[in-house]
Amino acid sequence: MLRRKLFRASLLLALLLITCLSYSQEKIISGRVTDSLGVGIPGVNVTVKGGREGAQTGPDGTYRFAVPSNVTTLLFSSIGYATTEVNISGKNSVDVQMVNTSSSLGEVVVVGYGTQRRREVTGAVSRVSSEKLNAIPVPSFEAALQGKAPGVQVIQGNGLAGSGSVIRIRGVGSISASADPLYVIDGIPIVSDPFLRGNSGAMNQNPLSSLNPADIESVEILKDAGATGIYGSRGANGVILITTKRGRTGKASFSYANKLGISNYAIKPSFVNGQEWLQLREEAWINSGHTGLAPLPGSLTWAEASANNTDWWDLLTRTGFINEHNLSMNAGTSKLKTFANLTYGEDQGYIKANSYDRLSARLNVDYKPIDILKVSLTTGYNRGVNKRVPAAWDGGIGDAMSSALPIYTPYNVIGTYVTTTANPIRRINETHRREVDNRFLGGVTIELQPIKNLFLKGAGSLEYRNAVDDQYETYLWQQKSDPDSGYAKRYPYWGTNWTTTFTANYIWDAGENHKFNFLVGQEDQSVSLKEYTSEIGQWYGNPFWDNKNTKSSYEHLRHDLLRNGLMEERQKDAWTFTSFFARINYNYKSRYFLQLTGRADGSSKFGTNNKYGFFPAASAAWNISDEKFLKGIKWISFLKLRASYGIVGNANIPSGVYYDNYQRGGNDYNGAPTLYLNNLGNPDLKWETMKNADAGLEFAILNNRVTGEVAYYHKVSTDILLSPGISPSATGLGDIWRNLTNSEILNEGMEFSLNLKIIDQDKFKWSIGGNIAKNHNEVLKYELGPDAVSGGTNDTRIVEGYPIGVNYLVRYYGVDPSDGLPIWLDKDGKQTKTFSLDHRVYAGSVLPDYVGGVNTSLEYGNFELSALLTFVIGGNLYENSGKYQFLGVSKKNWNFREDFLDRWTKPGDVAQYPKLLYDAAEYPGVPSEDQFNSTMFLRDADYLRLRELSLSYTFPRASLVKVKLKGLRLFLTGSNLLTFTKFPGGDPEITRDFENPQDRNLSPNITYLTAPTQKTIVFGLNVNF
Amino acid sequence: MKRSLFIFLPVIAAIILASGCKKFLEKPPQGQLTEEEALKDEAGILTFLNGEYTLIGDADFLGGRVQSISDMLADQLNGSRFTGDFAEIFKRQNSIFGGTRDALYKKGYRIINVANIVLNKLSLISDANKNNVKGQALFCRALAHFELVRIFAQPWGYTSDNAHNGIPLRTEIVVGSIQRASVKEVYDQVIADLKEAETLLPDALAAGKYYTATKWAAKAYLAKVYFQMNDFANAYSYADQVIASNKFTLDNTYDKRYSPGMSTEGIFTIANEVNRYMPGAELRGNYRSDKGIPTLNFTDQFYNYAISRAADVRKVWYSNTLQSGYNVLTKYNKDYFDLPIAHLTEIKLIRAESGAEIASSNASALSTAITDINSILTRAYGGTSNNLASNASAALVISTTRTERELELIGEGSRYNEIKRIGARSGTNIDRRGSVWNCNGFILQFPKSEQDAFSAFIMNPEGGCF
Repeated sequence: MLRRKLFRASLLLALLLITCLSYSQEKIISGRVTDSLGVGIPGVNVTVKGGREGAQTGPDGTYRFAVPSNVTTLLFSSIGYATTEVNISGKNSVDVQMVNTSSSLGEVVVVGYGTQRRREVTGAVSRVSSEKLNAIPVPSFEAALQGKAPGVQVIQGNGLAGSGSVIRIRGVGSISASADPLYVIDGIPIVSDPFLRGNSGAMNQNPLSSLNPADIESVEILKDAGATGIYGSRGANGVILITTKRGRTGKASFSYANKLGISNYAIKPSFVNGQEWLQLREEAWINSGHTGLAPLPGSLTWAEASANNTDWWDLLTRTGFINEHNLSMNAGTSKLKTFANLTYGEDQGYIKANSYDRLSARLNVDYKPIDILKVSLTTGYNRGVNKRVPAAWDGGIGDAMSSALPIYTPYNVIGTYVTTTANPIRRINETHRREVDNRFLGGVTIELQPIKNLFLKGAGSLEYRNAVDDQYETYLWQQKSDPDSGYAKRYPYWGTNWTTTFTANYIWDAGENHKFNFLVGQEDQSVSLKEYTSEIGQWYGNPFWDNKNTKSSYEHLRHDLLRNGLMEERQKDAWTFTSFFARINYNYKSRYFLQLTGRADGSSKFGTNNKYGFFPAASAAWNISDEKFLKGIKWISFLKLRASYGIVGNANIPSGVYYDNYQRGGNDYNGAPTLYLNNLGNPDLKWETMKNADAGLEFAILNNRVTGEVAYYHKVSTDILLSPGISPSATGLGDIWRNLTNSEILNEGMEFSLNLKIIDQDKFKWSIGGNIAKNHNEVLKYELGPDAVSGGTNDTRIVEGYPIGVNYLVRYYGVDPSDGLPIWLDKDGKQTKTFSLDHRVYAGSVLPDYVGGVNTSLEYGNFELSALLTFVIGGNLYENSGKYQFLGVSKKNWNFREDFLDRWTKPGDVAQYPKLLYDAAEYPGVPSEDQFNSTMFLRDADYLRLRELSLSYTFPRASLVKVKLKGLRLFLTGSNLLTFTKFPGGDPEITRDFENPQDRNLSPNITYLTAPTQKTIVFGLNVNF
Repeated sequence: MKRSLFIFLPVIAAIILASGCKKFLEKPPQGQLTEEEALKDEAGILTFLNGEYTLIGDADFLGGRVQSISDMLADQLNGSRFTGDFAEIFKRQNSIFGGTRDALYKKGYRIINVANIVLNKLSLISDANKNNVKGQALFCRALAHFELVRIFAQPWGYTSDNAHNGIPLRTEIVVGSIQRASVKEVYDQVIADLKEAETLLPDALAAGKYYTATKWAAKAYLAKVYFQMNDFANAYSYADQVIASNKFTLDNTYDKRYSPGMSTEGIFTIANEVNRYMPGAELRGNYRSDKGIPTLNFTDQFYNYAISRAADVRKVWYSNTLQSGYNVLTKYNKDYFDLPIAHLTEIKLIRAESGAEIASSNASALSTAITDINSILTRAYGGTSNNLASNASAALVISTTRTERELELIGEGSRYNEIKRIGARSGTNIDRRGSVWNCNGFILQFPKSEQDAFSAFIMNPEGGCF
């Protein structure tokens, strides 16, 4: 009802406008100018042939202006595109598709609150298209960005299904605040916090896995202040803009895609078997000066232990199956365009019982009832079901690398589970867990062009999430006899993210050479997530997710708990932003471009004394190739110099930490209520400030056969957000969030990308492309001690003068051949045989020097062979679990890795590792095995990986006519097929489970029983009809 | 005109929105209060102070962490299976990192911080309650400083003027770093706080239970503090005042001290409320032996010593069969209990030993001492057969009291403080593991975070005990 009224009102409004703007001897002509992909091209000059009247297309490629009624031809011109003439006699609406003449330089890229043509962009923006994104099956779309954009480091998630990657755009400039980029989907900044479920089960819930890669049209990565300045306090870490597919003009067409394949681990670490473990145990026992047989863990006798030789890894893993189906529909007229998509997929991991299943639907509709009004509906729903398994420190596959020894066995002789020693088989069989993440993202956008060159836009959107963590422990896990006495429990959270955006965009041509584009806007965002105060659990014979009955008994239980006051809803997280922004683009002779942006952000996350921040940025570009002095040089097709400088912020502060945390106690004491101070707030808390400078040169030479870009950036973060580092005796409380005075972190680097079309013939094409980026990270100013900040439980630190997350370790020199004891280096580099934490120095960095990728594509006829290699050069890996694996045969009782066999056994031995001992504290000076951190376990992080390899065949159109198909393509794709590395511990690409954002900043490349990444081989089919 | 209207439309809209967004930008976290809200009146402050007792009985502090760490540093436990933090502490080589130790340290200072905040807000307390509130805060502050200084600093008497490094002394709210005070300064403050508390606190509580601080709690702690300082005259005097009050009586059996509400010995006790707040979690967590192998169990040497007296009814506190191959304690094999922080048994032991120590100048003190130790002996050995003669020598009273103290207070963290106290008193090393009482590693290291926040912070030297 309401909708109809609104519609009528807007219709009326539109009619009114038309009347008051029209003149009798003129007619209004309108339409939309698109590129070959159907993306609207902004800034196209539309002029009357032989006349002075004209207009420019708006942000979405639409134009509308009055022309004398006798005009018959319009000229559409734009640099980078062939000028197009269109006859308009008898027409009031003309849509034009323009042909791109200068490869990628003419493409339209999405920027914040609009689009710009590549050649006019003054900021640093990388674009990754849908095809590139969907080349391989990935646990989550962001993993597919790896190697495809310069300066974007992607450490793909570990081998758990649905796991998330760590993305760093041009380095890390934060310590406690998250350095993750801002994710914006179709204009909506989404909730992308990976810590909403903490580190439960040794895996961070990945909020991005609930975005369907098949929905994505393009991903734009905004890197410098010129591009991210419009996002103000949230622009410092870069912004990833995700644009979903929309309908295009044309008859209804359908597309079906299917992927079928298998998954396994890329590389795994190797451990000794049962017999070897026992021999090594005895060796350690004797080395420690004992006699007789060494004691064994779990009260096992030597005879019992010798009888077992369990390969736990083998028992816990499998070949996983991948099965994805995707059906999409596209239909469009000049008034109504629709895109719809349905996806079902089941991606099994290589760990038994682990999978990520997706059910996803999308409907994007654009409706243009009248020329000056466009209403767009964007809706997407995704249900991700992650069948979880425990990992790392939580057991399961982690146990297979740690405490589940080969001398243990999963079953007793009578066939029941062994419960006295680590038993990941029992764990994986008798505990079940599924995390369901429902995400609905929908919005309505109304665009209105009331007068020529003015574009008004209002958008309202809602992101709704409902996430359920469902767990079940069977009666066997609970060690009960009644099969009904399992335990079912559920932890839901749910909530909304409302965003409203208003923008006004005015294009002003001040004479032939001066063109302006003004944008002002206002945006509000309010995020609120809720949860219950307790778990919802009961003794039960089935998991809650099993069937109708179990679901209803969950509902009853929940209802009872709420009604009886045993549980209530509470706020899990809530924050708001209110923002005002403006952008001015000035273009002189289509050669010189200047852009100024400014944004004022207010947020509920900021302290009461700092509610608003202002973030200005300026950027400019110069298209040198359009200058007269270069016109004569034929081999230069395009040359653009750009530069930007701006102040952007990082507002990734947990909500509410500026506020004192006094809370009423849950329990009375001595019959009276209690009250606690849990933490102190900070009314001065504010965003982190980053001064971000960028300069770049974009080029296309030899008739666009060679294109590329060189960029330099210099970013300095100040007012660094820090939560730890307060004297523990000051309040005895937790950490206090504050902006560290006199703190600075530098990220400075170069990026280089190059694409070569080596052979470019009709039948035979061969291209090679690649990018490499170097980042120099340095903590310039920092006054706290080296151990004030650490990455979770990992041994990474912040030290002035060194990169973020340095490995601060005792240096291991080698083994003394005479007695097999380790030789260390003290602070001054002098050899010593006594270990001390005082010997620790800066010994390495977890941040790489260079990251990048090389791709190549060979097309012959209808065949295409393509490959992507990704690489990391420089930096270190630290094996936090390696030290325990080396001490495996000591009383730590862990699995012992095969590469540690290179150890001292007798005088004169020259070995990599010292002699084995029964207790780590017997190595002189070692306080306990927990402190046995040294460069003994620090490795080179270099690797080269065959990330993607794909062979495809596209059937010729002619051959498909008979079967009434428009297109058919078959392909075979592999991911992570080959890895070249010196790392002895398995997979060199490590995203472990993190405790918090600080851990995530400081401890990439730290492994702790991290499951290796997946390797997949997939057969696929795309049909268009 | 109409054109400009459209241009300004968004601007107008923005202004309207902006005016409404002041509230929009305020999202105080649900359930969280600021200090102004939480401590705005007397009721708020009383509620805050009431929470203080649960912090004292918290697992990280006197709910077991203080006792467990003290016992690990001492010489009764079998540490051969310890790993990580426990192994470091046991080996008297505690290093700069260690969550077990850090949590204890922070909890102690959290208790002190609560006390300081309450002391800062006294102006909001009515006259009728002011003394009581102030007294409780001072008592809690002293208690926490005292427990911390015993674990993190060399004992009183380590240097003749006690100018050696103590712990940060926090008597004001400073959200920043401060240097360690000397041991003398810490003890002076602890005594000053307790003495002031003694004058301010009530004589008895309405319900007759000693679940919050009273005058007697302050006096009992003064006895403990002076005894730790080997100041026997003062220790005797304060222990005597507590005992002479006749408000506390020895339990008729040895096993009631850790029980839900059955003990009459508690001078200062943290109250248990079943299924709500149950103090002493870490005592049960580390020592409890009926549900599995406990983390803390005894050496054969100590076990054999502890069960060597045939008539000792307290032998049932030990078992080597409950968990085969482990010498375990059964004292805490309960689901819950009231947690006595200062109790009559200990105060009697203090008066007994102090009385004997000052016998040369105070003859009646010796006979009081003999009475005290005999009351303990009678209960322990099921009769008077092991009692001392009424003319027993001071030396015999002292040695007997020390033996009984170790047996009576097993699992309560007492032995460690005795090794340090006796070492400081006479230079005698009683440690069964052979360390010198004042070796560097015989105290805990400070959390490294103190030094990271304040580079001048003086850390303890480490190791050197074996």
